[in-house]
Amino acid sequence: MADIPLVFEIGITAMAGALATIAGAAEDVESDIGSQGDPNSQVQLAPQMGYIHRIFNKAIAGEPPAWGLWITLGAGLAWAFMAMSMNPILAIILGCGITTFVQGVYSTTAYLGRTASLAKFGQPVYIDILKSMTTVTMAHAFVAIFATVSMCFLINTALGHPFPLPLLGLVWGIALGAAGSATGNPYYGKERQYQTQKFGAGVPIAASGNIVRYAEAGERNSLDNGFFTAKLAGPASGVCFGLIVFLEIWRTILFEPIGAGWGAIVVGVIMIIIFAAIDRYIEVWARKNYGPYTAPVAEASS
Amino acid sequence: MTAIAAKPASGASLNPVASGIGIVVLIILIGIMYAIGGQIALIALIGIIVGGLLIAFGVHFVPVGGAPAAMGQAPGIATGVAMLAAGAGLAGLFGGAWAWAVQTNPDLLVAVITGGVGGGLMMAITCFFVNFIYIFGMGIPAASGKVKVDPLTGDTQPEFKSQGTEGHGLPFISFVGGVIGGIFGGAGGTLIYLMLLNVYQEVLPKMTVFDKAGAAGVLPIAISLAGIFAVGMFLINAVLAAYNITGTIEGPHDPKFKRFPRALIASAIASGLCGVAALAIVFVPV
Repeated sequence: MADIPLVFEIGITAMAGALATIAGAAEDVESDIGSQGDPNSQVQLAPQMGYIHRIFNKAIAGEPPAWGLWITLGAGLAWAFMAMSMNPILAIILGCGITTFVQGVYSTTAYLGRTASLAKFGQPVYIDILKSMTTVTMAHAFVAIFATVSMCFLINTALGHPFPLPLLGLVWGIALGAAGSATGNPYYGKERQYQTQKFGAGVPIAASGNIVRYAEAGERNSLDNGFFTAKLAGPASGVCFGLIVFLEIWRTILFEPIGAGWGAIVVGVIMIIIFAAIDRYIEVWARKNYGPYTAPVAEASS
Repeated sequence: MTAIAAKPASGASLNPVASGIGIVVLIILIGIMYAIGGQIALIALIGIIVGGLLIAFGVHFVPVGGAPAAMGQAPGIATGVAMLAAGAGLAGLFGGAWAWAVQTNPDLLVAVITGGVGGGLMMAITCFFVNFIYIFGMGIPAASGKVKVDPLTGDTQPEFKSQGTEGHGLPFISFVGGVIGGIFGGAGGTLIYLMLLNVYQEVLPKMTVFDKAGAAGVLPIAISLAGIFAVGMFLINAVLAAYNITGTIEGPHDPKFKRFPRALIASAIASGLCGVAALAIVFVPV
């Protein structure tokens, strides 16, 4: 690390942060279109409550382990291709491309298996949904996998992190899934699937399963959900993961040499305090501006 | 039935017989390790067990709402306990391992704290974005379902809670809990990694298969092995703690938090067993 110009390291840090931002955004939109995260519990529940729908349903695993698998696979394949003296750019693209097909296979089997298990509640397997959604989730998955593997490659090769590429892929893949699901899931789950519920309040447990199934024209499908969540949840997840990656590298690059490592610790603690202060500020802001919960006025009276 | 309605089958009480047997097993494991590898292995195993305890304890702090949180039906972060803790802890491990590699004269304490702060920072950013989405995306202020007053800020909670839910968002105590959980997780993961790395760096060059490689040649293998085992042990401890929590937890103010002693005993034994396996691969001749 010491023999590389600092400007170069800062540039790589910024680049890694930017790649992480793209990865976070693509990851969240992929999981919303594929209905991968926790809100999928409602997609699975809806037919059991009598609400037949055309939402994709491919929760293969929780988001963090699923993304841990895909990024590790992409990074591992890229690493193997590079070991065969392949150009790194080509190796990363090929590795991520192959991984995307693995994701597609998982998505297909997950949709067919999960939906077929709902046959006794009358939920059909829509082949057109399978055809149109799977490729879209694969495309988003490729963007996320490619951006994350490239970021890991930069961290490993240019910044000299000791972990080999596949291990970095596992670490950041799980972190990517954790950040994306934590930030994006509530928006997809509450705001989109329960769009008919009152804005500004949680979904009453009694309403579970009654997801929105109709769009402006015809029945809603998961592409509509991707269109909706790409406006806020996707970018927010991207900024979340981008900040995590950027600040983590930034504090190590700039402040690790200060005070035999204590510099990075102090800066990290200061940043935690800053985030705590901003969080507390918006929490109080919401309490003041939104006020306590008031039961919705009955629709019939209006 | 949702995850909220799922009640644990048993309470928070410790089973004295099972705990006693567990501690005896742990002592036997430590004894076996000392017999196989001597002092260096003994110190490493104790470090691994302490790291495991830090992770299992830390997971209890992390506010996790699971699927109900994704619908604004329960407070916390909308993902699984083990996964979220793993995300934070591994981000910490990334920082801790790097801090160790960068320094010419690395200090164990500095690297472990760096890992802890890395995990805490990841959680701070994630928790902030959870509240950001809840407040600016969904217009929902944070409200706890388990306590009437936030123990840190004194904010009253019940009037902000939506009807028919257990609460939503992250009250400030949950945010702080998340950060503390991330710090413990990151520190524990880094400690396990460094303990394993130390042993591998010491023992691997002496093995006959690595005769020609030398200390520098085995370093990538030592780092990879230690990293993979550290990630594995992290997940084991996080999942054990998640089973202890059963579903959702709001943070340190949640009544479920009091169950942590049970997880600590389980985690010590699991870490001990995994530690023996991870260390034995270099000590037991094949």
